[in-house]
Amino acid sequence: MAMRVVALAGNPNVGKTTIFNALTGMRQHVGNWPGVTVEKKEGVFEHKGERFLVVDLPGTYSLTAHSVDELVARNFLLNGNPDVVVDVVDATAVLRNLYLTMEIFEMGLKNVIIALNKVDLAEKKGIKIDPVKMSKALGVPVVPLNAKEGAGIEELKEKIWEMAHGMIKTNPVLPRYDPEVEREIEHISKCLAGTELADRYPLRWLAIKLLQRDDEVMKLVLRHLGEEKLKEIMTHIGEAEERYGRAMDLIIAGQKYEFIDGLTHEFMGYGKAKETLTDQLDRILVHPVYGFIAMAFVFYLVFKFVFAFGMPLQGILDDAFGRFGEWVAPHIANETLRGLLVDGVIGGVGSVLSFFPLVFLLFLALSFLEDLGYMARVAVLMEGILRKFGLPGKAIIPLILGLGCNVPAVMATRTLDEEKDRLVAMFVNPFIPCSARLSVISFLVGAFFGGDALVALAIYLLAFAVALLSAKLVSRFVSGEESPFVIELPEFLLPSWKSLLLHSWERSKEFVQKAGTVILVGSIIIWYLSNYPVPMGTGKSYAERLGHLVAPYLNLMGLDWKAGVSLIFGIIAKENVISTYSILYGGLTGDALKKAMMSAMSPLQGFVLAVVTTLYVPCIATIGAVRAESNWKWALAVTVYMITVASLLGILIWHVGTAMGL
Amino acid sequence: MNMIVPLLSLVPGERGVVVDLRGGPNFRSRLYAMGLAPGAVVRVLENYPRGPVIIEVGGTRLALGKGMASRVFVRKL
Repeated sequence: MAMRVVALAGNPNVGKTTIFNALTGMRQHVGNWPGVTVEKKEGVFEHKGERFLVVDLPGTYSLTAHSVDELVARNFLLNGNPDVVVDVVDATAVLRNLYLTMEIFEMGLKNVIIALNKVDLAEKKGIKIDPVKMSKALGVPVVPLNAKEGAGIEELKEKIWEMAHGMIKTNPVLPRYDPEVEREIEHISKCLAGTELADRYPLRWLAIKLLQRDDEVMKLVLRHLGEEKLKEIMTHIGEAEERYGRAMDLIIAGQKYEFIDGLTHEFMGYGKAKETLTDQLDRILVHPVYGFIAMAFVFYLVFKFVFAFGMPLQGILDDAFGRFGEWVAPHIANETLRGLLVDGVIGGVGSVLSFFPLVFLLFLALSFLEDLGYMARVAVLMEGILRKFGLPGKAIIPLILGLGCNVPAVMATRTLDEEKDRLVAMFVNPFIPCSARLSVISFLVGAFFGGDALVALAIYLLAFAVALLSAKLVSRFVSGEESPFVIELPEFLLPSWKSLLLHSWERSKEFVQKAGTVILVGSIIIWYLSNYPVPMGTGKSYAERLGHLVAPYLNLMGLDWKAGVSLIFGIIAKENVISTYSILYGGLTGDALKKAMMSAMSPLQGFVLAVVTTLYVPCIATIGAVRAESNWKWALAVTVYMITVASLLGILIWHVGTAMGL
Repeated sequence: MNMIVPLLSLVPGERGVVVDLRGGPNFRSRLYAMGLAPGAVVRVLENYPRGPVIIEVGGTRLALGKGMASRVFVRKL
């Protein structure tokens, strides 16, 4: 027998993910909803010997056709045939949460359970809710929960089981509107009665959605019943709106809340609300001055945390793979096979896995800030600045993450609400210098400018400026509405460690799977190019020939074929730029290499090389990440765009610099 | 006298009842799904001269851009 399906619905910030984790534990899988870049999480739990599949729907405030998230959730509820719908309701904001509940009820779904979360927090805020009366008022079971502590989860499983077995009869309450509105609903229902749509969807839901001018339902009517019918209905709605003097959806929303308000009086009581810690913290955290200071401090701590723990781990893994390669090498007689396995495969897998600790810690820190509720404050702070460049405030998160590694940064763009914002944010992210490029920049600045930090800072500022201006440019070409700026500032809540670890683990696993293949293939190519037909250093390897091939182009910006080889290898990983130079100079490293490069190049050439290395192309893992989060076309567009920008800047700096006599 | 004014014009501590959302369908549906529907009682917590308007509605806190807050009309309480 197929597994029964449980859909998990609810507003954002209500603890839905925590409930999902408490239900399914480690037995979960993260993927994408078909055709869209919305994360789809599924998991399995067992109760009384039966397995249930839990589908975590995107957290939404309503089920309109205005955003991808809402459409995904709505389509699953309508067409995914869930056996049970668990609607998570935040006890501290029942009025607003029940708005979504009413939308679910209006869709004609009967097997609904309300998971009333954060009951303890509500009590602290002086809100008293009687679950029994609430269940009676809503007509469906209500299970009070404190998901963080795991309280109520077993009861929820039991209720799901009972409902799936038809042991619970429900009678979901439907919102009643003013007689005038009800008359309109009735009129449109009559227009649709007896049609094929009426067989597939509840009439009342169709009618209400049409009154709200829902794009998708209007398309449904157009497709199934023709233009005539749609026009007839819409004309009628237009006339009704004329009589009211305002949009129907606004009237319906207002009356829906009025109805919900009436309901809550039956089961909810307000005490005296006290000022909470969150109120006090917010006076600092979203303040236009103190907020930025606090934010700088928080991100500084994140970086400290990630790099202090991540870098040593990365070193250990790198070492381990290096030694493993050395250990394997003598056991393989065939030279080609040995090279392929040791340098290509083991080296490649090693460099993927050595990224794992950094990526994992980054996600851990980010998930912590996200679940804590701090990211919403950051988004509010940055909105004013980033909006000028066509990005929402939330886009600061991937931009800052990029300083560590662009791969998780590109993946973090999925936290942005609008598709358009996601595309723009991931397009410009590779410009942000990651830690690999930091090593190249500091090496070159050390060699040519005596380690002058101001030069390094100039390169960073240039990179950020290029990223922001590119965002402004690209956002003009990506279609999509600007997301309205309204953000909920949730109550601060310490996240559960179990949930955090689970989440970060899933994300980093995904990174290894997605970026891993690309890096592996890249390492094998690099190994081949630098060993065939003869090993590098002779000037006859494919790599060096490629370098000579692009040399005329690089000459335009004052660089030679050596830079060509290094930059080509830098596509695999940016730190390769320096290690390739090292091979080309016969194995010189450190200060000896710096001296050799200095005698061959002027400081201006060194500066151009640093700028070009910073901007010229996303590394192959980042290209893989962009592809995974969007498509090949977009990944290709980013690559071509970056090569163009880096070339233009390289040529400009070289010529202006030469003209100035540098 | 009960004046109808944009939410933007309220100072911290003032309250109002939402009477109208003047904007496109996307704007409207986003706001009322988050609790800012006609009839909702709003309290302004902060109204930064160069920054967002922070409000409390239905037990939750929302941050709105200045542009959005100027299109939400309330009857002052």
